[in-house]
Amino acid sequence: MGNYREVQAGSKPLKREYIMVMLWFVGRAIQAAARVDKAVREEFEQLPEGFTFALGVEPHGPYMIVGKNQKGRVKYLGWKTEDQHIDLKLKIKNIEAAVLLFTFQESTAVAFTRNRLIVDGEVPYACATARILDTAEVYLLPKLIARLAVKRYPLWSFRRKYIGRTRIYFRSLLGY
Amino acid sequence: MFMPDNYEFICPVKTNSGNRALEHLSFELEALSARKPLIVTDKNVTRRGLIRKMINAFKDSGVTIGIFDSIPDVPDMQLVTELSNIYRNGEHDAIVALGCGSIVDVAKVVNIAVSYNVRILRDLAGDNLIAHPLGPFVLVPTLTGNGYETSKFAFIEDLTFSSYFLMPDLVIVDSRTVKSESVQTTVATTMVALAHATEAYTGPAKNPLADTYAYAAIQYVKENLITVLKKPRDTEGLLALANAASMAGCAFSNMKPGLVHILGETISAMFHIAPGICMGILLPYGMEYTIQMNGYHAYDVLLPLSSFDEYAGTAENLKAGKAVNIMYEMQQDLYTVTGGKIPRTLEEANIPKYMVNDIAEKVFKDGAKEFGVDDYRMVLEHAWEGKPLSWV
Amino acid sequence: MYLPGYYEFYSRVKMIAGHDALEKIPGALSDLHAKKPLIVTDKGVCHAGLIDIVTDAIKNSVTIGAIADDVPQDSDLQIVNRLATLYRENGCDSLIAVGGGSVMDTAKGINIVVSENTDDLMKFSGAGRLKRALKPLIVIPTTAGTGSEATLVAVIADHKRQRKMLFVSYFLVPDAAILDSRMTLSLHPVMTASTAMDALCHAIEAYTCLAKNPLSDSCALAAINLISGNLLKVMRNPGDKDGRLAMATGATLAGMAFSNSMVGMVHTLGHSVGSVCGAPHGMAMSLLLPYGLEYNMHKVDRFIAELLLPLAGSEIFTWTPKHLRAERVIEYVRQLNQGLHEATDGRHARFFKELLDRDGSPMVSKEKLSDIARAALGDGSLFYNPEELDYDDFLMVLEHAWEGVPLDRSRIKKG
Repeated sequence: MGNYREVQAGSKPLKREYIMVMLWFVGRAIQAAARVDKAVREEFEQLPEGFTFALGVEPHGPYMIVGKNQKGRVKYLGWKTEDQHIDLKLKIKNIEAAVLLFTFQESTAVAFTRNRLIVDGEVPYACATARILDTAEVYLLPKLIARLAVKRYPLWSFRRKYIGRTRIYFRSLLGY
Repeated sequence: MFMPDNYEFICPVKTNSGNRALEHLSFELEALSARKPLIVTDKNVTRRGLIRKMINAFKDSGVTIGIFDSIPDVPDMQLVTELSNIYRNGEHDAIVALGCGSIVDVAKVVNIAVSYNVRILRDLAGDNLIAHPLGPFVLVPTLTGNGYETSKFAFIEDLTFSSYFLMPDLVIVDSRTVKSESVQTTVATTMVALAHATEAYTGPAKNPLADTYAYAAIQYVKENLITVLKKPRDTEGLLALANAASMAGCAFSNMKPGLVHILGETISAMFHIAPGICMGILLPYGMEYTIQMNGYHAYDVLLPLSSFDEYAGTAENLKAGKAVNIMYEMQQDLYTVTGGKIPRTLEEANIPKYMVNDIAEKVFKDGAKEFGVDDYRMVLEHAWEGKPLSWV
Repeated sequence: MYLPGYYEFYSRVKMIAGHDALEKIPGALSDLHAKKPLIVTDKGVCHAGLIDIVTDAIKNSVTIGAIADDVPQDSDLQIVNRLATLYRENGCDSLIAVGGGSVMDTAKGINIVVSENTDDLMKFSGAGRLKRALKPLIVIPTTAGTGSEATLVAVIADHKRQRKMLFVSYFLVPDAAILDSRMTLSLHPVMTASTAMDALCHAIEAYTCLAKNPLSDSCALAAINLISGNLLKVMRNPGDKDGRLAMATGATLAGMAFSNSMVGMVHTLGHSVGSVCGAPHGMAMSLLLPYGLEYNMHKVDRFIAELLLPLAGSEIFTWTPKHLRAERVIEYVRQLNQGLHEATDGRHARFFKELLDRDGSPMVSKEKLSDIARAALGDGSLFYNPEELDYDDFLMVLEHAWEGVPLDRSRIKKG
């Protein structure tokens, strides 16, 4: 019986911190993009009133939540999923899969197709959300890295790309 | 394409393979309604740091795991009873076998014991006597298998259990757990996969479903074994070989054992040589032998053994011969790349010539009556000498 | 053989196939500890005499709980609930589905309701909502086919609320699939053609899309080989038992392939055309297939090229130079559609303009293309397509597929 033992595996604090930071940036960037970018605005307009979605890691988070308020404004709603009504939850199965996604070793599309995450909600909403996420990443990341994250790097006008990016960075950091 | 008039096929094994596959384990266990797995393994695996990797894979999942790390090479029923008690007392609800060979046998038999009752275990030995699904069983193989890991078989002491319920619910092939331990084990594991897959693909019970597993297995072995031996750190190659081993077991479970398997297992038991090494020697001779047999399909294995171009460009009546030649070449390459460590003939494997007759008679006496004693003897004689049959 | 960085593959369905596979059903039921099945089917299958063949094969050893033969053309929530009640009233303990995709989906839906003892199927829609095994389900396909006998999905329409519910779970995969050549002997040539092309699409998309893996690839190659090698044979001679068994096997293999590797833009657009214009599934797939291959060519040409061998055979493969093989595949598919068009007296459409309903009116009008493109944006198969598609891309492909002209590849935005 000395050959048997029980083990509680513990956690991965550094990786969790990294994911928390990335999720925070992405959430705030989506909030900003909804104001700055026409395509993202239109995607949100197609989604139902009060639509809220979350992206995060199972089983204990971290998460980021973004939703439309009654006035239709898109807001980053923090990380507490317990108190929120959430229409669509994109659950990454484990912290390692989240690290692969947020270090761009696997693009969003590849993460979906490799079953790294579960879609808890309606599929058409997941499609719209993935497009919104992609756009936010194109704004946030330099082309070299964004190309790893999205399936097709878009051809944007100078104005959209550089001025839009500056505005989104400002808004993400300042939170409006 | 060959279509049999009737066939049956089942493979209840899920495969997760690749980068960071191990970290999916807690999610997959949850899907099997399991929250407290018992990991069984041996000291060799532990020594190689794989237990640490397993534990790390559970980090952040909140799951408590039990670890038993001393499965011996030749386990007995006492161990099964001991582990069943550990399983029940620890309130475990799944078994995870980390490793191959006897680790997997023990895991499977313990699974029967805890799903039924350890006291009636002996009554369940035999063919298809297990009538209900067992508890969750996950396999995390290393590259040291004997070909039975994903199969429907389990062996302990003098008992053989055979049931589809023994096949793992899930196989996790992770790049970190399938490193090459030694030339011998890598070749043995791979060649048993090649032999089983080839016999499934070319034998009388050939069907399109078993072919899907066999085809992929044969291709992976052909494309990766020699390169992995030249470059032992080739992660993708190792992953491919481990996939082949897993797939071959699935195909094999749907077939009756073939000539190469029967002869290989007998020689292995009699002379204590790894079954894969024996089957590796016998494979081209066994294949050549079946070219003349009705109901065999040696010609078809040219496709996974070569390329679309070569297969499509070869006349029908030349396909079988070409396939066999590729196998002989592979044997020669194995010998060369390993500096002569892998025998090409039974003579090189230090089997005395006068034993050939005894082997043939033993095989026939043990019940393998698909072929006659003379047939077994002929194949063995040619495999001893290293002389292709080329239709005698 | 291609090895992806990570993949998952699972195909748990037991296959029992042959010219007298139905007679093995009692054994299969007994292995599953089932005694009293509810048989679920539709009127078409009944009128073709297929239910009689099934019941004759099993009635001496199995107590049939009840036979429900009123499943409509596409599976519906009301029917699922009603048949679940029938199941309970007759003390059934298992299900046997005899039919095509919608019968099989209905049976899967009934299985959820009776196994979870629920009155609200909606609760289980989506992915991963089922947590444990359902009641035994045996499936006997009568087309070759949708492949639903091997898949983990079910689509049930809620006509009252005008929506389609999608269920995805490994627990939905049937316990056994019975492929008996008798079940497709009387399949009408138009249906033979469109269901075969549906299966071919499944296999080709599984082989070229992003979740491609060695086992689904093996299944796909075998499926394409069997379907391509036998389709025109069974069109010419519908009573060819060997040919029918080969087609059935091919369709199931295609189902196994795409159940694991999913599908891409051909299905994205095909589903949308189906939901907006009611176009029949198989036909929409077959005419969109060459366009999907043209659109994705710059990303997956090497995979498309490999398909020439199982599709066209050794001779054409050997005589086609390597760098021309992928294009030859597209040409071959167009030729196949042309052959089927002729063999069905024009009923198998080669492009949307000539897709007509029973009264001879066009089913897909040019005005509807923008609605179809918009609907396509919400279809999950989009994730799996090798190249990205936005509204403009969808519209472009649809316009070409409507007109029947090859895709103008200079208009593809490459990622």
